[in-house]
Amino acid sequence: MDSHAARLLGAGLAIGLGVIGPGIGLGTMIGSALQSIARQPELTGDIRTNMFIGIGVIEALALYAFVISLILLFVVK
Amino acid sequence: MKLKRLMWVVIIVGVLVGLFLLPGGAKSQVDVAKEFELHPLIRLPKLGPIDLSVTKAVVYLWLTTAVIVVGALAVSRILKAKPGRFQSFMEMLYGIAHDGIAGSVMRVGVATWFPYIGSVFVFILVSNAIGLLPLPLGEHHQLSFYAVTGNLNVTITLALFTFVFTHYAGIRQKGAWGYVKGWMLPSAPPVMRELIFVMHIVSEFFRLVSLSVRLFANMLAGHAILAVFFTMALVFQSYLIASVLQAGSVVLFLFEIFIAFIQAFIFAILSAVYVSGALEEEH
Repeated sequence: MDSHAARLLGAGLAIGLGVIGPGIGLGTMIGSALQSIARQPELTGDIRTNMFIGIGVIEALALYAFVISLILLFVVK
Repeated sequence: MKLKRLMWVVIIVGVLVGLFLLPGGAKSQVDVAKEFELHPLIRLPKLGPIDLSVTKAVVYLWLTTAVIVVGALAVSRILKAKPGRFQSFMEMLYGIAHDGIAGSVMRVGVATWFPYIGSVFVFILVSNAIGLLPLPLGEHHQLSFYAVTGNLNVTITLALFTFVFTHYAGIRQKGAWGYVKGWMLPSAPPVMRELIFVMHIVSEFFRLVSLSVRLFANMLAGHAILAVFFTMALVFQSYLIASVLQAGSVVLFLFEIFIAFIQAFIFAILSAVYVSGALEEEH
């Protein structure tokens, strides 16, 4: 395996494995937010704001993986 | 009735087969990474290590500023008690920034810090939205997409504003020593206390990284996916795949509009959370 192939493989694996965890996290978080909205519709605004904060924090993890794969693809020679 | 349905099936299959059989154009390679390269539009001399040349990103920043200034001046001239469509749109933006972002997460200091939160929200929103318009700033002045928030330099600058303002707010509220002392938990056991203090300092810097990389990577990923969808047809040389991809790119574009709003919202709301965290009394 030459270094170019290893680079491509690493980039694919980085983003592919990197989004598993944030995917599970986002699923849990949005699921429980929807559940609590269904239970207490009068708190919809508060719950939605906090859900977006959480989404932002969790999503950053997947984007780190994306940046790593971009670095592997275009920066590492 | 049955005949009509059969006719539709025949037409659809015919169109699909026709699209499949139509020969595509000449095969061409498209390098998506090239879309994000910056070439100087106007060459200017270097000032030490800083290149002052005007690139695509600089023009986009000017455009963003111009749109915000013109919009704000226009709406301040035509203020009426019974708002028109433009004025109610701007009032809606103000409402989102004031009540939805600053008011909902800050318990103290809304009046002091709303100007920063609101302007960072509007700036990121407008520059994301301008990034979705095709502008003739590409190579050889072809229409191209570029988001200035998909440039790490811009997002790091925005995150640094939040970083500096967070600590400025804390120091102004509690004094320098009081603010730093607030990071130590007085009830923790002796060695843990110092450890938590160091962890807090590290996490402050990771906030800077996550705040800037989140916006950058979101806009870059969105534009890369759009570019792949727009240009994949050139690589595959098939009208069938091209039509499917073009239909998909419309859906993706709508999703990108949503992302453009959500990212501005998240950046502003996290800035508000950090600033209010520095303002509040230690718990």
